[in-house]
Amino acid sequence: MARHEHIRNLVLLGMAGLALAVLPHGLSIYFRSFALFTMMYVVLALSWNVISGFTGYTSFGHVAFYGIGAYTCAILVTDYRWHWLSTLGVAAALAALGALALGYPVLRLKGPYFAIAMLGAAEGTRVIVTVWDSLTHGGLGISLPSAETSLETYYAMLALMLVTAAVAYAVGHSRFGIRLNAIREDEVAAEALGIDATRYKLAAFVLSAVFPAMAGGIQAYKVLYIDPPSVFFIQITIAMALMSMLGGKGTVIGPILGAVVLYSVQEATWVNFPTAHLIAYGLFIVLVARFLPRGLMGLAIDRGWVRKGMVH
Amino acid sequence: MAGCSFAVPRGTICGLIGPNGSGKTTTFNLLTGLAKPDGGAVLYRGEDIAGMKPYQVFRRGITRTFQITRIFREMTVLENMLSVTGLAAAERIARARADELLALVNLTHLRAEYGGRLSYGQQKLLEFARALMTDPDVILLDEPAAGINRTLLQHLLDHIHRLHEQGKTIVIVEHDMNVIMNHCERIFVMDYGVKIAEGPPAAIQGDERVIEAYFGRRRAAADVGR
Amino acid sequence: MDEAVAVAPGAGAAPTGRGRERGETRSLYLLAVFLVCAYALPFVVGFSAGTARLDRAWLATLATVVLGGVMQGGVYAMFALGLTLIFGVMRIINAAHGEMVMMGAYLTWVAFFRLGVDPLVSLALTLPLAFLFGMAVQRLLLDAVVDQPELTALLITFGLGLVMIYTAELVFTTDFRTIPYVPGTVRITETIAVGQNRVISFAMAVVISGAVYLFLKLSRLGKAVRATALNAEVAMICGIDVRRIYLITTGIAAALAVAGGALVSIQFGFNPETGIVYTLQAFAIIILGGRGHYVGALIGGVMLAVLENLVSLMVPNGTAMVELAAYGLMILVLLIRPGGLMGVKEG
Repeated sequence: MARHEHIRNLVLLGMAGLALAVLPHGLSIYFRSFALFTMMYVVLALSWNVISGFTGYTSFGHVAFYGIGAYTCAILVTDYRWHWLSTLGVAAALAALGALALGYPVLRLKGPYFAIAMLGAAEGTRVIVTVWDSLTHGGLGISLPSAETSLETYYAMLALMLVTAAVAYAVGHSRFGIRLNAIREDEVAAEALGIDATRYKLAAFVLSAVFPAMAGGIQAYKVLYIDPPSVFFIQITIAMALMSMLGGKGTVIGPILGAVVLYSVQEATWVNFPTAHLIAYGLFIVLVARFLPRGLMGLAIDRGWVRKGMVH
Repeated sequence: MAGCSFAVPRGTICGLIGPNGSGKTTTFNLLTGLAKPDGGAVLYRGEDIAGMKPYQVFRRGITRTFQITRIFREMTVLENMLSVTGLAAAERIARARADELLALVNLTHLRAEYGGRLSYGQQKLLEFARALMTDPDVILLDEPAAGINRTLLQHLLDHIHRLHEQGKTIVIVEHDMNVIMNHCERIFVMDYGVKIAEGPPAAIQGDERVIEAYFGRRRAAADVGR
Repeated sequence: MDEAVAVAPGAGAAPTGRGRERGETRSLYLLAVFLVCAYALPFVVGFSAGTARLDRAWLATLATVVLGGVMQGGVYAMFALGLTLIFGVMRIINAAHGEMVMMGAYLTWVAFFRLGVDPLVSLALTLPLAFLFGMAVQRLLLDAVVDQPELTALLITFGLGLVMIYTAELVFTTDFRTIPYVPGTVRITETIAVGQNRVISFAMAVVISGAVYLFLKLSRLGKAVRATALNAEVAMICGIDVRRIYLITTGIAAALAVAGGALVSIQFGFNPETGIVYTLQAFAIIILGGRGHYVGALIGGVMLAVLENLVSLMVPNGTAMVELAAYGLMILVLLIRPGGLMGVKEG
């Protein structure tokens, strides 16, 4: 891509950021929350996409990092009286370490085995958090003291989203991203071209863990109550995966699109069909996976609206 | 393979032939780190590279192509070229080199097309060009002539000779005897995992053991020569 | 001589070299060692926490628990067999497998309470229904995703599972249900007894699994299924109608799951969400046993159930930790030998 295209995209991102920054002042509390959670899912979907869309290692337990972030923030704020913003740095660091430790053995596994291993890791983390109640208050959950207006968390999430989007963009349009794609396409051939797959996979995995952790932390401070089932909820992983797939995994705009669309649909059905909405959600998942596996961006590329490839 | 010993002279074009299953691709795999030897060593410029990971072998200047092309199908031609590591950090330089090589193999007009949409011959050329991105010293070609037409083959051979003139070492595994006999300076023959003959084309053509290896097994062989 | 590359004397390698065999056996031994440790762990915890004692009464309890675990494992093994069939033949992970088990439990319940049919007899009805259901799922949903990366199948089956859970919730509410069936125990010795319904379930599970196993081993169709599992492309070339095999595979898998549900329904309580745990247990079992390995599923099923029961007996906070048994086993196997006990190392 020519330099001016990058600058154009950066400007667009900045404008979107500005628009979102002004937005909350004109919105009700409900819509502010809605916007915050939409942005959160954008962060989650973009991060998941780095390891699973680009690198092709389907992480079916990514919610583990989100949960770790939520609990780090909650524990530090409630039991140790930290300021919530500084807990985010710790959450990110812990997630990075966890990703490094977990990734090294687990990224050796192939396709479905990696997915299942991550699932086991996430659920295992949930059980450990539940049982280790001296640290985490176990099944009772943690109630956070609140001193914020709904604006603080909004802006934090906005900032996080802009950073995540910028990082995802940088990854997607660089040779680093190309090499992640190469690993997904044919890991053996990639190694034969000088790509140290282990190192690249680990880098992608750590990168994909850090932002969900921070999102989890911000969310904890927003919702003010967390417990193991709510933050280690497998549906969150499903949402990440579905959003990426719906938008088009392996692209940069895809997860953003998918997150916005899916979360809006989810909210709309939940509000209008309280009992049946989960059935509708399940049906939606089935239909998307069945008929739109390459996502909306895939459709756009096929129709020629968008150029092929990430680097031009 | 069992108890093999080869020495490939620097700057030559060598051929590696033998009936199916004789261990030619396994040899390539040993050389590039895709397989580990149970014993012995693989010496490159005095260093034993046996058992090294493929990316380490690549960074020392040895590249290879595969029997069945392993290009990245869902990435564009240009991305295929840029996925290679070991080049100067500046992306500008990498792109320039990619464009140069693509022009050499006449694939410039396809640089934005998905690798999977290319014809078989074009994929082979892409894989060939991709292997040259880092200007390697040793190039291993696994059946480069398979499945492509004569014109394309001639182009490929021209490229190979040009590389040879630049001082590169090239080893070709092939079943096409015309290619081997007319373009290689030295030929190694394998059968049942053992090296059975070695020498210039003239010597190989008359070699008893080679003839027996091929004709004696003709009943079982699927494709000998094209 | 100025050499570019030299392969020195004695260099040898083969596609299945000695080195690789050594790696295989080594990983198997390593896995065995860790498995023994996993089973020892509950004992260690139990003895230090006081929940385990070395007297006759407690040992009798232990024997009962282990025996119960073995019987339970037989049922687990049966529905895990279905999952490993799908995974082996189509490389697809069926995230809705537990929901099919749950469906079997509810179908049996309906047959029992609304139609007055004995749970075991109702199998004659529910199994063919399940088979058809499996075929429908395959034809409508899974055929299209067989060649795609595993994520698509995971998502599609997960969505299916969600639909099944919440439809069940709509129809049956989230209340736990049970089927009182043949209460009473079978006495082995004066101190060791096992529930009658458990024994019957185990017997049925053995019969059904055995029937499927024989089908796969001996019948032409069964061999075609196994051939497709080994290499679908080659099977196609040999004239096997692979699409039909897929239909049959999913049909059998669904039938096995529903049978599992029926047998579970006469032992334990269930509600729409219990399927989730079964799915995970099935995953753990097929990983432990090895993808596509039928005997492996049996061994894995028994091993998991026994470990769960040991944990439940001896570890304080046991009920929460029981889940950990499944995840723990799964991760252990994946880290040491992804292929499981009966598969090749890499899986």
